[in-house]
Amino acid sequence: MTSEHLLELDHVSRIYGEEVEVHALDSVSLTIDAGEFVSIVGPSGSGKSTMLGLLGLLDLPSRGELRVSGLPVSEMTDAQRSRLRGDVVGFVFQQFHLIPYLDARRNVETALLYRGLSPTHRREMAMDALDRFSLADRAGHRPVQLSGGEQQRVAIARAIVTDPDLILADEPTGALDSTNAANVMEIFRGLHSPDRAVAIVTHDPLVAASAGRRISMRDGRIVADEQVEPVGRTSTSGGTLGDTSGPT
Amino acid sequence: MSNVRDLLGVAFSGLTAKPTRTLLIMLGPIIGVSAIVAAVGLTESAKGDLQQTLSELGTNLIKAEAAGSFGTQDPTFPEDVVIRVEALSTVESATAVINLSGIVTSPYAAADSYYTAFPIPVIAADSAFLDVMDIAMVSGRWINGFDDATAGRAAVIGSGLADEFAYIPGTERTISIGGFKYGVVGVMDRVVLEPNLDNAVVISPEAADRDFDSGLEATTLYVRSDPEQTLVTEDALPVAINLGGNDEVNTSVPTDALESAAAADTTLQAIVALMGGLALIVGGVGIANVMSISVIQRSSEIGIRRALGHGRGLIAWQFMLESVVVGLMGGIVGAGVGALVVTFVSRTRGWVVVLNPGLLLMGVVAAVGVSVVAGLYPSTKAARLEPLETLRLG
Repeated sequence: MTSEHLLELDHVSRIYGEEVEVHALDSVSLTIDAGEFVSIVGPSGSGKSTMLGLLGLLDLPSRGELRVSGLPVSEMTDAQRSRLRGDVVGFVFQQFHLIPYLDARRNVETALLYRGLSPTHRREMAMDALDRFSLADRAGHRPVQLSGGEQQRVAIARAIVTDPDLILADEPTGALDSTNAANVMEIFRGLHSPDRAVAIVTHDPLVAASAGRRISMRDGRIVADEQVEPVGRTSTSGGTLGDTSGPT
Repeated sequence: MSNVRDLLGVAFSGLTAKPTRTLLIMLGPIIGVSAIVAAVGLTESAKGDLQQTLSELGTNLIKAEAAGSFGTQDPTFPEDVVIRVEALSTVESATAVINLSGIVTSPYAAADSYYTAFPIPVIAADSAFLDVMDIAMVSGRWINGFDDATAGRAAVIGSGLADEFAYIPGTERTISIGGFKYGVVGVMDRVVLEPNLDNAVVISPEAADRDFDSGLEATTLYVRSDPEQTLVTEDALPVAINLGGNDEVNTSVPTDALESAAAADTTLQAIVALMGGLALIVGGVGIANVMSISVIQRSSEIGIRRALGHGRGLIAWQFMLESVVVGLMGGIVGAGVGALVVTFVSRTRGWVVVLNPGLLLMGVVAAVGVSVVAGLYPSTKAARLEPLETLRLG
């Protein structure tokens, strides 16, 4: 199994509509391996979001096969696919998508539910994840009481608390000002490790420039898949993580 | 099991997120269950004292009266009527009495004309009467063999008559029965099953036959039957008494009237309980309604949970549990409120509180049942939401 790719799209098409078929993805083949830092770029309607749904196991191919560590996803039940999604993928969204009535700690803990963990253990893991992004003192705050940058860091803590193989981010800086955006990108660069792949869907060239591999899409097809020299990773350290901006 | 614990935690935090909304949808089951409990509890409690009396009295007393065919004057039973009915296997005990007619009873001669117009019943009965009717003596004693053997004229009177004649218990008095001076040897307490006795005079059959030439044929029979076989015994009595003859017997069970009085007003009970049931169903519709809106409002939360690896089944259970918790809590509170209402109203009215624990349990179970049905639609709806559509990916 070691030779298997973390994620593999094998001639995957995603077709919407029944009478008039819309090919959101058109026979795309792609592999993502452990430890890669991938950006997926392209204009609106190029199929990025569809790609994100498939890579995140939130959607199934209409044709072709999607494999996770060699296992075909189409043969799984919803429960199996959900469990796999929880284990393999950590999501970061543009709009943060924290649950509004839960405080930061319990938002992070939501990713740890239904795994047979004791509430104490779950709480410790969530606190560790928050602490990693200097959010320990924000653990009891609900999302509205947090700034945009803080909310996104809570969301990142929630994404990594399960120790996933892939962090899948959708325009993670899209709702942030430039300072916070820079901080969040710095965090992403730090999340990428030999054991963990990071994939960012974006139309922001600056964001995409952080990645070592850029997949360009247009009209449901991959038009370029190239290795690039990552930029950034130069100036910053943990000291810039604290942000002072208000909620967005 | 840890999944159940996690689900409960999620359901509770979902409910406590909007406490006002949760309390509002809880009102449905609260009102429904408390109305049902109060309706049944109050209608039962209103008759609680009668039911208590009834269970003390027993419902196995049968009264049989001789009724001749058309035109017969002063119909009577055969002389051996007690032996005949005691031959029935379902009869426990029996006593025959003679209702004497045309005898003026009065405390003193001056009052005779009044008591001629309003006669006091005179009954000839032996000591078996005391046992069968379960008569308690307020004062004095029953007529005994000594009285008869010595031809002493002894009478026992009802407590109502004792009051009317101003007989003081324990004070020796005499009473004029058909012109004969009878000594009052005892005063009977009220007999619920035969209220006439309260105002009656009882003498022994021997004295009745001697002084009033009554004969020994009884006019009325009191029978205690096997408590489980009262109706069967009642039906069998006329045959047993007449041995196939054609004289008629009117039978009745004195507790029947009391029993129907003690029975809760089932119509009222049904109406109020039905309204409670309707409130419960409307409450269920309210739960379904609010939960459906809540599913829409929380669609992005559902998408987030799906993205975090919660399957459709877990999402469905989350919303189902929220609904069930609302039903359970509402049911428990409703049962409590209903029980409080029953207790409070019964206390202020001086009723005996009748609260069947099964009724409370049934109320809670009904509320949970309604909430399960109410939760079906919202929870399936939540489970069917597509995370991709609710997450608005970029």
